[in-house]
Amino acid sequence: MKGFLGIDVGSVSTNIVLMDEGGMVVDDIYLRTQGQPITTVQAGLKELADRLPAGTIIRGVGTTGSGRHLAGLIVGADAVKNEITAHAVAASSLVPGVQTILEIGGQDSKIIILRNGVVNDFAMNTVCAAGTGSFLDQQAARLNIPIEKFGENALLARTPVRIAGRCAVFAESDMIHKQQMGCSLPDILAGLCEALVRNYLNNLGKGKEILAPVVFQGGVAANVGMTRAFENALGLSIQVPPYFNVMGAVGAAILAREAVSRKGSSLFKGFGVADTSFRAGSFECSGCANLCEVVEISENNTILARWGDRCGKWNSTAGREEKIS
Amino acid sequence: MPLKVGIPRALLYYYYYPMWRVFFQELGAEVVLSQPSNKGLLATGLKHAVDEVCLPVKLAYGHVLDLAGKSDLIFLPRLVSIGRREYICPKFLGFPDMIRRIKGVPKLIDPNINLYKSRMELYRVVHEVGKLFSCSCYKIGMAYMRSVKVHNQYLKLLRLGLMPAEAMAIVEDRVENLPVPEAVDSFKVALIGHPYNIYDTYVNMNVIKRLKEMGASIMTAEFLPEQVVNNSAARCLPKKLFWTLGQRMAGAAFNYMERSDVAGIVHIAAFGCGPDSMTGELIERSARLNGVPFLNITLDEHTGEAGLLTRLEAFMDMLRWRKAGPAWV
Repeated sequence: MKGFLGIDVGSVSTNIVLMDEGGMVVDDIYLRTQGQPITTVQAGLKELADRLPAGTIIRGVGTTGSGRHLAGLIVGADAVKNEITAHAVAASSLVPGVQTILEIGGQDSKIIILRNGVVNDFAMNTVCAAGTGSFLDQQAARLNIPIEKFGENALLARTPVRIAGRCAVFAESDMIHKQQMGCSLPDILAGLCEALVRNYLNNLGKGKEILAPVVFQGGVAANVGMTRAFENALGLSIQVPPYFNVMGAVGAAILAREAVSRKGSSLFKGFGVADTSFRAGSFECSGCANLCEVVEISENNTILARWGDRCGKWNSTAGREEKIS
Repeated sequence: MPLKVGIPRALLYYYYYPMWRVFFQELGAEVVLSQPSNKGLLATGLKHAVDEVCLPVKLAYGHVLDLAGKSDLIFLPRLVSIGRREYICPKFLGFPDMIRRIKGVPKLIDPNINLYKSRMELYRVVHEVGKLFSCSCYKIGMAYMRSVKVHNQYLKLLRLGLMPAEAMAIVEDRVENLPVPEAVDSFKVALIGHPYNIYDTYVNMNVIKRLKEMGASIMTAEFLPEQVVNNSAARCLPKKLFWTLGQRMAGAAFNYMERSDVAGIVHIAAFGCGPDSMTGELIERSARLNGVPFLNITLDEHTGEAGLLTRLEAFMDMLRWRKAGPAWV
């Protein structure tokens, strides 16, 4: 079998998918990044290599997510794309005719508006990460319910309580207040989902025309409570596509397929990278008052790349063609 | 020994520095600039600034403090108004007073510049500042005339599409090589924002260079003559904005929106800027009505570049996708 790999290295999860040449997802892996993107990507590739039938040929690799440059460097990516484009590409391929994409991940959330198969507008949360997966995770842990059960519990609510969703810190104190008043847990959870949806629609959806078909993707789409809250708020039915939690990786695989078909060959270094030793170090450049933190990635003691400097002094010493940041 | 006059490389430096420089030099003073913005200056600024001012004013604190010890006087005009029936942001107005309370700052030259009622007021200001350096009215008048000439030359260069740094190099006669002509097949993107945000490469993480690398050719409000900007603003806004800079940004954005050769608009706002939150919204609503791609970027003290890059990349992808149609992927 021949296929394309898509790797999405996000703040919370790292996802890898294998897509066949026809664009069907063959296998997918969802791992927690746990602050170690390099080892997580390696572990994911190893797991995938073990599961694949012998003779599988990888024709190309694409990376996306906030760790896309790092992952791209490690595996030898053919396409390195931002997560907004990757999510839009994946959704428009899996759900033809989609007009609105709601995406909530571990630390960020986005809204993408498509018209006639083309991205028309998008927005991404700014510094505030209220209402993203990490916050839900933290609240679930505080209430001692597994995050997987969060949504089911929220669906049991009879009268969701009103929680201030503007800010995660205030939302938490509001939840504690409601819990001490004796509101039931499902009502609080459903109230929280509603608050987060309100926050999302106010911050990102502001002024945008949200038309059906609407898809909801990203890790948080696993939470049926959130889907229900979106449906109630928008008055539209929401589709959660298959592979909703690895959509970024699906998009990266599609973009890799296009990149390879344009240039004819792949840069993929092979599954062997799982056993290669990569090292990331950093130092502070004292060349000027900016004191940039320069990150250095090396493979078996040869430097692959450096980045993080503003002036490009270190960037260029690594002798790479593509500029990273 | 000539008196050293310090000029912070911040705020309206990007509009008026060539003029101020010539004026002080003609009067026999030596002009000293603060360093280009960097992490150290921002850190100093954050340490001394009052907490409710916007990011660019905090950075300006750093620039002023950088001049302490390097100059005898600091030129920090109290800019109330630079146009008839318009105002400059109140934070600029209070800036000399915010600075004065800091120990160790050299004496300020802080004339009131208030042209709200009449431009004639400017002559009084010129005389007030000039007499610190010379008692000859003729000399002061000549210095002013020369500075205006350079100012007009500078504005002309900006309208030709040069960035302030390039135009300043030309008027100061220190050009080493001519600016490279831009690629023809790139997308025209209008970059709208306060000059001290869009031209300060540190605070905006080099947004102009990054957009150019991604295939955009940049147009800013400074490329347009004032009359054109004001006409566009008058046509698209129900009433005139109070702020000169906001009016200029909105007018330029409306003008670019109506042009078919401009593919999209990027608006740069500073965290904590009151006028930006209003003009940005006015521009965004109008862009949406006209179906023009719009991206808003808020600059803050964060040094992480990933968020900026992701947005700029996605924006450029969107422009390409829109141009090529659904088959772009």
